[in-house]
Formats: sequence, C-alpha cells, structure tokens
Amino acid sequence: MKRTRQPGISRRATLALMGAGAVTIAAPWVARAQAKTIKIGMPTILSGRVAQLGTSSRNAVLLEVEKVNAVGGLAGRQIEMVIRDSKGQPQEAARVARELVNTDGCEMLFDGEASSGSFAVHEVARDLGVLCIHTCSEASSLTADPKQHIPNAFRCVRQGIHDSIVGGSYAAAIAKAKGLKKWATCSPDYAYGRDTTGEFALYLKRFAPDVEIISESWPKLFQPDYTEVVTKILQAKPQGLYTCLWGGDLTSYIDQANIYALFTQMEVFAVNMADYTALTVVKNLPKGIHSGNRYIKTFPKTPENAAWGDAYRTKYNEYPTNWSWQNATAVMLLAEAVKKANSTDGKKVAEALRGLTIKCPFGADGTVTMRAEDNTLVGYAIGWGTTIPQEPYVPEVKAGDWKTIFELEAEWKKSKGYT
Amino acid sequence: MTELQAERTPETLSAPRIETRSFRSRYLDVLIALVAFAVLAALPLFFGSKALLDFVIRCSAFGLFATSLNLLVGYTGMISFGHGMFFGLGAYGFGLLMQRTGVPIPVAFVATLLITAVVAAIIGAICVRLKEIYFAFVTLAFQMLIHSTILTWTSLTGGDQGLRGGIPRPAFLGIDLANHVHLYITSCALLVLGLLLMRQIAQSPFGYTLRMIRDNARRASFIGIDVWRAKLTVFVLAALFASTGGMVMAMFVSGAYPEFAYWTISGEGIFINMLGGVTTFLGPMVGTVLLLNLNDTVTRFTEYHGIVLGVVILFFAIGLRKGLMDYVLEWYTQRRDGSGERG
Repeated sequence: MKRTRQPGISRRATLALMGAGAVTIAAPWVARAQAKTIKIGMPTILSGRVAQLGTSSRNAVLLEVEKVNAVGGLAGRQIEMVIRDSKGQPQEAARVARELVNTDGCEMLFDGEASSGSFAVHEVARDLGVLCIHTCSEASSLTADPKQHIPNAFRCVRQGIHDSIVGGSYAAAIAKAKGLKKWATCSPDYAYGRDTTGEFALYLKRFAPDVEIISESWPKLFQPDYTEVVTKILQAKPQGLYTCLWGGDLTSYIDQANIYALFTQMEVFAVNMADYTALTVVKNLPKGIHSGNRYIKTFPKTPENAAWGDAYRTKYNEYPTNWSWQNATAVMLLAEAVKKANSTDGKKVAEALRGLTIKCPFGADGTVTMRAEDNTLVGYAIGWGTTIPQEPYVPEVKAGDWKTIFELEAEWKKSKGYT
Repeated sequence: MTELQAERTPETLSAPRIETRSFRSRYLDVLIALVAFAVLAALPLFFGSKALLDFVIRCSAFGLFATSLNLLVGYTGMISFGHGMFFGLGAYGFGLLMQRTGVPIPVAFVATLLITAVVAAIIGAICVRLKEIYFAFVTLAFQMLIHSTILTWTSLTGGDQGLRGGIPRPAFLGIDLANHVHLYITSCALLVLGLLLMRQIAQSPFGYTLRMIRDNARRASFIGIDVWRAKLTVFVLAALFASTGGMVMAMFVSGAYPEFAYWTISGEGIFINMLGGVTTFLGPMVGTVLLLNLNDTVTRFTEYHGIVLGVVILFFAIGLRKGLMDYVLEWYTQRRDGSGERG
C-alpha cells in the first residue's frame, strides 16, 4: 500500500522542531561552571533614543577593564564584562540584572541604567545582596534618600544637586556682574528637568536674591519642534535663560533658537552643553553659552585627563561622554577596592569601597572619593565655563568649590527630610 | 472552543446542549488546571535555576495580561489599544497600598482589584459604545491619560522614577513573598486560577454571547441582548485580570514604573496575541512564552533585537497570516479529518 503523505509538517519535522525549541528554552538555564575569571554584569540602554548612554558607557568600561586585566585583573582574576541591553524599560532592567547574576554567574553589577531603570536594578541589588555600582543615574534621591540606602550599592555618578549648587553660584556671580535680574527657564517636562531647574533657581536666588524668574517653559522630552517655546521666551524678554535640556533635545533647541537669534538677546546657561555629544552636533554653536562640564578633556586641565580623552577617541573614533568618565571611574574604584580588600568577595569589596579615595583623572584635585555616609561619589571635577564654536569648545572652566557644595548639600538633605 | 462553535447560529446552540457540554468540560478544565499547577509548583524541586523561576513569574504576569486582552480582542472583537493601563493600575495600586498603608497583602490585592473595577467601569462606560478604530483610539487616549497622571502626580507616584524604596511584602498565612520560591508558587497559583476563571467566562453562556456580539452585534441586540452591558462587563472583567498581571509584575520587580502603564505594554499584549493566535484560549499564553523567550534569547546575543523581533512579526503576519496556535489547530484538524477519511 502506498503511504499517503499528509499535507503540512510531518511528524518527524514536528519532533525536530519541538526538540530545537526545547534546547533553545533550556540553554540559558544549564548551569555553567565557575571559572577563574570574574564576571561583572551590566544592564544598560543599548537601543533606542538614548543608546549612546549605553554604548559610550560600554566603551569606557571596556577601555578601563583592559588596563586592569593587563596588570593581573581583580585579585588575580581576569574581568569579563557581560553587557546587555535593557531597552530602557525598568522591568527589563530588573530581569536582565537578575539573569546576569542568577544565570550568567556575574558576581558584581555595574548599573548603566538611567532614571527608573536604575531604581529597578537597585531593588535587584537589595534582593540579591550583590555588589552594585550605579554608573549613569544622576537622580539625587537614589543615594540621598535613606530609604534607598543599602550597604552593597554605590553610586559613581555626578548628581543633579551638585550641578545645581555650582550652577546657581556661578550664574549668580554673572547675574550680579552684568545686572541680569529677569530670568526664564526652559527644561524638559519630567522629574530630572523639574527637580534640577527648581534647585538651580533656588541656589541662583540664594546667591543673587534680587533675581526674578519671569517665564517657565516645559517642553516634552524628545519634542521635535521648539518654535513655540523659543517665541514664548523671546516675548518674555528675559536677561538670562536657564535650560537643562540634554542630548538631541538640546541640539535641536539650539539649532531652532539660532534662527530667532535668541543667543544674542540674552545670556544662556545650559548645564548640559559642555558634552561632546552636544557640542559636536550643533550646526552653528553660538559663542558664549554658559555650561556645566559634562565631560570635556580640557577640564580638569591635567595631562592625565587629556591623555584619557585622547586614548578613548583614538580607540573608538568618537568623543567620550559624561557617562564615559563615570563608568571609567567605577572600574578604577573597583580595582582599588579589590586591591585594598585583597579579595573579590562582594561584602569585603563593599567595605573597602566605603570612604575610599583614589587617584583619578576626573577628580577636582586629582582624586575622587566614594563618600561613606551615603555611598556616593564626591570630589569629581565640576565647574562652569563658556563655549566657543571649535575645539577645545570650552577653553576656560571655573571650578566649583566642593566645600560650598558639601555645606549646601547637607542643608538640602535636611530640607528634604533625608537627614 | 473553536471557531466552528463560535460560528454556529444561536438557534442551533440550544441551551441544554451547552449545559451538559460545559458541565463536563468544566471538570476537565479544573483537572487540567490542577495538573498544570502541580507541574509548575514541582519545577523548583527539579531545577535549581532561579532564572527559570523568574521566567515563569514574568510569564504569569504577561500571560494573565495577554489572555485578558484576548477576552476583548478574540472573543468580543473589541481591539483595545489601552489595555496596558490596567496592568499599570494594578502595579501602582498594589505598590502604593503596600508602601503607604501597610495592610496585609490579601487586603491590598482585593482593594487593588476593587479600584481597578471602578476605574474600568468608568472608562469602559465611555469607551464600549464606540466601534472598531474609535474604540481602539479612545482606549489609547485613556491609557495616555493614566500614564500622564502617573508622570505628573510626583508626590504620590514618584513621577518618572516610579515607586521607589521597594514594595514591602510582609508574610501572611505562612506565605512570605519576599522569598523567591514563595513568590514563584503564588504567581503560578494566580496564573492558573486566572486562566481557569477566564476559561469559565469564555465557555459560559455569557462567553457565547460575547462571540455573537463579535460576529454580529446588531443581531445580538435584536434578540434581546444588552450589547452595551455585555461589553462593559467583559471590559471590567478583562481589566481585573490585567490588573492581577500588573500586581505580579510589581511583586517581581519590587516597584512600579510609569512604563507599566505606557502604550508599549498594550502593544506588547497585541503582539503576543498575534504571535500566539486569538482563536484558541491558550493562544495568548503560548504567545507570551514565545515572546518572552525570544526576547530573552535574542537580547542575550545582540542589541539589534528589534530587527530579529521585526522579522518574526513579519513571518507571522505575512508568512503564517495567523498566530502559532491558530496554525497548530488548523494543522491538527486537517490531520484528524484526513485520517478520518482514510479510515
């Protein structure tokens, strides 16, 4: 009898497909042997609008890890980075972080997430007790709020509150010198934008009490058209303008505001301007925009910082970002802490990290410190300067005073009920 | 349940036949549910992998969400683009109650369901009158309204940084949800129970009313069915299951984030339904397992996961032109009929 072939997929093919499916599903859960290398997991954003955050963080981490590995690794163990995309979704960040620890055998985490994602990874660190260094989230509450505090999580990132204190005092000095009394603000409409702008205004008024904010604009995050915002500001006729727009939003804003010659009519303070990601993208960078330093290889003006910036650029053929120096610093801190603890055990390393001061090209005085009281980075180079349209973009940066920052930060913490 | 049953005219579906049929199948459903739960609950005994447990917990959250969406899309023909708002509402409602009031978990769970029911009834009352694209867009609009509220009501919700500081999970009745295995078992129980309940809804006379509304709402209305009320009821019921999914997710990440209420979550729900198929009850569950597994596997190897997922969507949309379970069902029916003819 002739066998009739059924239409569709045969039984054998079905079995093969099911087998292949089972292997795919099971593969990640097959336990892997513990190697002599030490794995560090890093969830970060490698796709979507802020992919540059992840890619420039990854570049910096790999650059530094290479150096650490060349001199023997962490307590004799070579570092292997496992870097994975979270797409900027907090539930994915949490999942990836857990997967990195539970499945891939990562013994430590670098959290390269922004905003909500960093809080999600923070909860994973709380749950799993694994050593975690936040390297991108600038939200002050992540470490300032005692409810967030866990002994195994550290933040190696600049902070909104530090930027606002330094920016406020710098802007106030210029406001007094040039008689800028009427101010406008224009910042993205989300927590970072609202908090940072509020804090900047607070410190500006503190140092220059006769300043008045006469107009506020809150464009949406990733808004493509700023025409109405620009015209609103021009109609208000302020003498000074503060903005904490960043990245693509800032560059679109400047390009569009240039058409209305906004920059010739007022002093502009854009805290996030002095980052190569913004400086090199703007079509006609106006001269004289005041900006905080994000990352610029001329500040601090040291050969170490310049060499680091050049090495990064040579290796990746692009400029480093603010996220780059933060991630690089995280690797440097970790390497020193392991040396001090003479162990790669998370708890011992955390103990060694607390209060640790290391030599660092990005330090205000050549060093940075992981402050013990709230596990956060202090002493990094922070300052403001004005732009010119070509390299070095911000030739002179006036450094902020860390003593003032500490005093005002303590006051701010008290006002927020954090201490 | 198959399309064949759904396509029968109401006259042929005489009441007693449905009764006996559903009576028998109900026992079968309960049995399947018990077996499924037993298998899931036994997994930690055989596999030590925490990642596997994480995977099942996430499947529970998204499975409940996607299957509840199928109650609207597949059974009633209401394509909601805003179903994710109830997922977010569940996560935020539960998280906030636990953080702010310190009530026991079951109380917070029930209270969150109550809140969801009220919100869904209000939104549903406005939306279900509308048809097709208008319904889709108004649900999307409400979703964006809820998302914007979460973003701007910073003092309550924490704005775009979400509910921070972890969700406290005090033990109740010997169940400690801070314990990974306990959380896993609870998620499985919620999933199986949720699926069983949804299955009962789908197989009940009410479920067949929904199918009739999907196929011909005017006809249903002519034979005396209050279409608006039936649609509103299923809208609220589906919201409750989506909210349960949100609560599972909130417990998993120990927080709630505005992304949970964003339109992309609704989009993911629709995609899961496309992937798994909407004509079988378990289609969305299969879609969930497929999508999450695909997502986890692909992101492990490349950051260009968008391309891979896009190709998969194209394969299902243009290649198969139906979900996986639809395809399997069709293939199985063909095979069975084929062998019947031969025999």
